[in-house]
Amino acid sequence: MSIIQLRNLAFTYQDAPQPALRDVTVQIERGELLALIGRAGAGKTTFCTLLAGFMPQFFSGQLQGSAFVDGLDVLATPIGQVARSVGLVSANPAAQISGARFTVFEEIAFGLENIGLPPAEIVERVTWALGALDIAELRERSPYALSGGQQQRLAIAAALALRPPVLVLDEPIAQLDPRAARELAQLLRSLAAGGTTIVIAEHRLKWVTALADRTLALERGRVIANGTPAEALAALAALPAPQPARLAAVQTQPNPFPALQPIVQAEAISYRYPSGVAALQDITFSVSAGERIAMLGRNGAGKSTLVRHLNGLLPPASGRVLVAGNDTRRTSVAGCARHVGLVFQDVRNQLFARSVREELRFGPRMLRRSAAEVELLVDSALDTLGLRELAGEHPYDLPPATRRLVAIAAVLAMAPPLLVLDEPTSGLDTLGVTRLIELCLQRASQGVSTLLVTHDLDFARQAAARVIVLDQGRLALDSSWDTLDANERAQLAATVGLPVG
Amino acid sequence: MIYLPGSGILHRLHPLTKLAAALLIVVAASMFPSPPLLLGALALLLLLALAAGVARRLLPIMVSMFLPLIASLFLIQGVLFPPANATTLVALGPVRLTIEGLAFAGLIAGRLLVTGIALLLTLLTTHPADLVVGLGSIGLPRSAGYVLLVALQLVPDMVARAGAILEAQQSRGLEVGRGLARLRALPALVGPLLVGALSDVEERAMAIEARGFLSPGPKTSLRTLQDDAVQRAARLLFVLGVVAVVVLRVWMLRANP
Repeated sequence: MSIIQLRNLAFTYQDAPQPALRDVTVQIERGELLALIGRAGAGKTTFCTLLAGFMPQFFSGQLQGSAFVDGLDVLATPIGQVARSVGLVSANPAAQISGARFTVFEEIAFGLENIGLPPAEIVERVTWALGALDIAELRERSPYALSGGQQQRLAIAAALALRPPVLVLDEPIAQLDPRAARELAQLLRSLAAGGTTIVIAEHRLKWVTALADRTLALERGRVIANGTPAEALAALAALPAPQPARLAAVQTQPNPFPALQPIVQAEAISYRYPSGVAALQDITFSVSAGERIAMLGRNGAGKSTLVRHLNGLLPPASGRVLVAGNDTRRTSVAGCARHVGLVFQDVRNQLFARSVREELRFGPRMLRRSAAEVELLVDSALDTLGLRELAGEHPYDLPPATRRLVAIAAVLAMAPPLLVLDEPTSGLDTLGVTRLIELCLQRASQGVSTLLVTHDLDFARQAAARVIVLDQGRLALDSSWDTLDANERAQLAATVGLPVG
Repeated sequence: MIYLPGSGILHRLHPLTKLAAALLIVVAASMFPSPPLLLGALALLLLLALAAGVARRLLPIMVSMFLPLIASLFLIQGVLFPPANATTLVALGPVRLTIEGLAFAGLIAGRLLVTGIALLLTLLTTHPADLVVGLGSIGLPRSAGYVLLVALQLVPDMVARAGAILEAQQSRGLEVGRGLARLRALPALVGPLLVGALSDVEERAMAIEARGFLSPGPKTSLRTLQDDAVQRAARLLFVLGVVAVVVLRVWMLRANP
């Protein structure tokens, strides 16, 4: 008998205008590895949460059909009981920390204490999970003091330690570097071989379809393909784009840096964390007008630290950073923001206004643009990212992927000569990623620059012309994709891997 | 978190033993606030702090928490509002420093100090998770223990998030300078903090449920507390002591109302 049996399943969230899942009939066998793909808002997260027993107990709404997982009717069994059969890792690792444990080791043990395992077995399982996710050296650290990639591995380890017969992962590699993503793929393969049934919802289509036995594509809550990756990808590709990825032709700002002066120059900068650990060592590079740059590196290589130097958030311990020719030590962050726009990974730290339009007005107003200029800049940014129809919506009423585009548009509206995006594709579907690639190309043609910090190698290859690799705080590579020689390719393969293209 | 890791005598005691002892000292000091008893209790507590190796951490906390309070106590009781018919020690115009006022202030200060140090010593030498496990063993509900531990970590979590929000908004040109500019910056800083905290609540509730927090059946704990017959007996004695002190006090009040 199939371990997961969904029959004519439909679910509509309370007060939602339309169903999140419609007439879903799917069977998944024990030990099968299923990829779940689809555009943002297609119903993937609802599918995952439902398998873990959250509907209708946690999220109320209208249900039809039946859902059995590991012999349990998950629509009627208490979540606490389903939890023994289904391990769920949702998309935001930081919010999955229990908050009641003080070390990584204890955090993984939390679930095992809840199901009443004897301490000796808890220690054995936690030790195994730490090793499986390669985070043994973090065992005594506070779960809060980890990077996004480390927290993601912790969340997966915590679910794995419960050894559930069914494991459900929602965007498990959004914050993992390519090597960690490959290692996770191997781990999941061996778990499936051992009989664990695994469902993975993911936007990184190549990674997930290469890994899975079967691929399920969802669109507007309906199953539109159920079979080989090729079939599922073809079904997705055949969908009409809901909003054309139309790019605004108007550029309101002439480029203030005609090729003469770089926008940003980093000269031999080094930085140490307060703990004394060297984060950056002797890094020199510059960004000129019209460049498209991808910055790659493993989790913890120093990318986020380097990015914070580009607009003066962090002053270098030695060396200097010039933004538009001015030393960042003598310029305020707000002053640098005129030239370097920075969008961080966690967009919740940025969005606060009541409407998308109001959110976009904030930056240009801070730069003291006139009211007329502000509206022009806002309209242009809205059009560039295809958000015009959503201008009146509250940012937090939008799906996470759209919210990320709003956060990017809010900085784009400041018309910065250099736009820096930290992990911009996290949670974005193919359409969103395509918009970002077009954004980079369009900006380059207008003589303004974009720097992308990313783990997504294929995105980096398509969106950027130049590639910078950081390795343990040092600049390991700074080259153009098209002129990589054999040595540089080897260097790239050793540090982060090679894109498929 | 106030806990200071260590391996001294107090660190090794069961959390409930420390709590019971602290309770006895606090109750005795408030029921019988005589100078010798208070001084004796203070001396004992300070010796324990030294033996546990936490005196260096304890004293600054005591100074910052209690010095302003005690100073104002002496000012109010000793100088500004002395008890009626008090003996004047020094008089400076209308302001009189009285013996009774100082003695009264001293007694209250002594009680405050004994209570404060007894509780701080317990917290400084007990990991909060151990304290919750200990309280759980005498009936504190698991959910209450969970909330207690989350609340402890909430502050560092919020501080870290506030820092990240400040970075994000400065990167959008927000000046966090002086005066009015600072006030105008508030919505952009407080808004994301509140929204983030609220949305985390739902996701965290999901996460702990998915990890079996409400799973039926018996629970275990990775933390095992060291306990022995001597400590169990001591706890019983301390609790009986608390009862005895209260009964004695009530009896004395009835005898000499």
